Amino acid sequence: MSFTYLLRRTFSAAFALAALMISAFFLVRLTGDPVNLYLPFDASDATREAMRVRLGLDRSLAAQFIDWAADILRLDFGVSLWHNRPAMEVVLEALPNTLALGAIALTLAFLAAVIIGSIAAVNPGGWIDRGFNLLSQAAASVPDFWLGLMGVLLFAVTFKILPTSGFGGPIYWILPVACLFARPFGTLVQIIRGSMIEALNATFVRTARAKGAHAGRVTFVHALRNALLPAITVTGDLAAQFAGGGGVVEVVFGFPGIGKLLIDGILKRDFAIVQASIFAVSVVIFIINILVDMLYASIDPRVRVE
Amino acid sequence: MNMISITKAAKVGLAAFSLAANVSIPAHATSDTLTVVVTDEPKSLDPCDTDLSGNSRILRNNITETLVNLSPIDGTVTPSLATDWRQVDDLTWEFKLREKVTFHDGKPFDANAVAAALKRAQDPALACEVGLATLKGVKLSPEVVNPTTIIIRTDVIEPILPNKMAALDIGSPDMPNDAKTRAPVGTGPFKLLEWLPGQSVALQAYDGYWSDKPSIKNATVIWRAESAVRAAMVETGEAQIAYEIAPQDGTSDHDHAFPNAETSLLRIDQDVAPLNDRRVREALNLAIDRDGLIGTIFHENAEKAMQVVTPSVFGYNPDIPAWTYDPEKAKSLLEAARADGVPVDKEIVIYGRIGIYPNSSESLEAIQAMLADAGFNARLEMLETSPWLKKLLKPWAKDRQPSILQTQIDNTEGDAVFTLPNRFTSDGNTSSIVDPKLDTIISDASKATGDERKRLFQEAFKYIAVDAVNIVPLFHMVTIARVASDVNYTPDVQAGNEIKLKSVSYR
Repeated sequence: MSFTYLLRRTFSAAFALAALMISAFFLVRLTGDPVNLYLPFDASDATREAMRVRLGLDRSLAAQFIDWAADILRLDFGVSLWHNRPAMEVVLEALPNTLALGAIALTLAFLAAVIIGSIAAVNPGGWIDRGFNLLSQAAASVPDFWLGLMGVLLFAVTFKILPTSGFGGPIYWILPVACLFARPFGTLVQIIRGSMIEALNATFVRTARAKGAHAGRVTFVHALRNALLPAITVTGDLAAQFAGGGGVVEVVFGFPGIGKLLIDGILKRDFAIVQASIFAVSVVIFIINILVDMLYASIDPRVRVE
Repeated sequence: MNMISITKAAKVGLAAFSLAANVSIPAHATSDTLTVVVTDEPKSLDPCDTDLSGNSRILRNNITETLVNLSPIDGTVTPSLATDWRQVDDLTWEFKLREKVTFHDGKPFDANAVAAALKRAQDPALACEVGLATLKGVKLSPEVVNPTTIIIRTDVIEPILPNKMAALDIGSPDMPNDAKTRAPVGTGPFKLLEWLPGQSVALQAYDGYWSDKPSIKNATVIWRAESAVRAAMVETGEAQIAYEIAPQDGTSDHDHAFPNAETSLLRIDQDVAPLNDRRVREALNLAIDRDGLIGTIFHENAEKAMQVVTPSVFGYNPDIPAWTYDPEKAKSLLEAARADGVPVDKEIVIYGRIGIYPNSSESLEAIQAMLADAGFNARLEMLETSPWLKKLLKPWAKDRQPSILQTQIDNTEGDAVFTLPNRFTSDGNTSSIVDPKLDTIISDASKATGDERKRLFQEAFKYIAVDAVNIVPLFHMVTIARVASDVNYTPDVQAGNEIKLKSVSYR
């Protein structure tokens, strides 16, 4: 990967980020005035107006935008109305939790999907394939929310082997990871199965077989290497989605991540939190995309990252 | 790998897993630690923001205390940091303060601390909840006489100043004056140990507390948005008290439904036709089968309401007749209005707020169907809090559609003055009624004392519900709390704003 490539990508990402932040600025302000949410019903009109003035919300949208843009360029995301602390500080506390949660769930989902998808593809239409197909379709379509509550009822309330929710040692991660695992696992099994069937019937695989290569080696080395490419693309997209947090899962389990923070920020019209979250998540997505490209190139020598 | 080894591996794995689980899951609490689970993280933990229940539940009478408390039984004023108080003249009150009380930072509690807290709460730059709500509309000027005596002067007659002082949590004078704090220092039985943002607030018993020491030494307050999870946490021993359990989750013996001082109602925008016709407003009330809603969509312990405050509030009127369910009469009233040219077929919007109470959407869906049965043309619109507030608060659009709005009014302060002026006088910013006669009654009542005050407030409530028919009162509501079986704790009417940790103990 050349330096110019990285520069070009960074440049285009900066453009996309600027466009995103500008739309975020206008969109959050279209959703309504935070003042009413922050003051008690009984507060007088004068108090409401004073707060609008203090927050600068009484000025024209253009004037607000110019100040905001100047602040953003200095990486100043403002103070969270709700948390009463610098918004980026709050975001940077939540982001690593979400990234770790997403990375664990996605890595496990990818590894499990590679194994299950490959086994299913060896004998398409057989009973193993049909069983895995059913399992993966169920996993891909089950709602996170329902899975989370069922997990709590079964493993915390009934068997008492896992905590219901919270944040702490590895034991607290099992249920949220399991909930976030399901959908990517289901999706990836379907993709890997499809591309594996194709790869196993390709000429180079038949050649390898004819040369007497071991069946396992043919499946997991020759065919899989080729079949992985579409799965990596999808995993990249899934990772980008995960960077924004598994909102529902984080809410159910009281997991202090960026998804819950963003949902709260939107509901509480905490503009600074919403904007800082969007910024942080976008940067992470940009990095993920670069990493996926690099991975892609290292698996398929025909792809050059330039 | 053969079958035996797979089974063996699974067994070993499961054993290791449960071992790890048993070690790491918080075991049942020891006799002096307690975990309480609520819905939301507090905002600032500043003592001047205790009108917000998220803050108040952690602070009030745990970390910070007030000059006086209100009895949860009848709303009477009881001593706390003040031992005695008297009205010197119309505009002057004197409070005698408790001696030998210290803040958690070691500073003595005295009249200067009270004056500082009062000044801070009323500082417009800080925009404190307490100053903007409970203490609103009256300028309170403290004068320190000596360390144990403070005089508070008011610019208008304030007959219930002690009630209002029950809302003023007093923090150490060393707290920042120009900003809200996240590290409150009070005189209460607990001091703040740690606030882990997004996770928990930990409290620890304060050794220097002036009164009886609590039996709980360490308390943790955590928050989970999901009712089913909160309920499950008490089942598993991860928490001992969980608030705001939804009716569908609160079916065990450990669930206590308690009146929460909230009254649910629909506010009628009576300026807009056809709702400007009294018969139409009466028909709205007659069309709703309140008995059918209790025990189904609303909790079975909810009580049919006739007015917007609960019986525990000073000024409550017990003689207002409850609306009966009479769809036929509603229809005939609508017909009569139609005959007089009232546009009764015009679409009326019901504005609801998502999650204002459990089953809030379901309740309005049922009410919409009831209104349709009685001949109304009603459309339901469920709003998220911010757009709902826009409908609740003035100014409203001149050319708006006729509407009724789902709301809920709480009064934990115990006097009708905390409910009426802002919601039912002509210049109240959530009031949909403009009536000089009602304005006079409410204004006179606010200045009066004793029986005269009670009589005038009762008259105001009757006027709103019976003469003007400005509201569709629904229910005095209940909240469900789940309490672990080995814990002694009975939530009272103040439990929505106050977790009385001092009153909690293990059996």
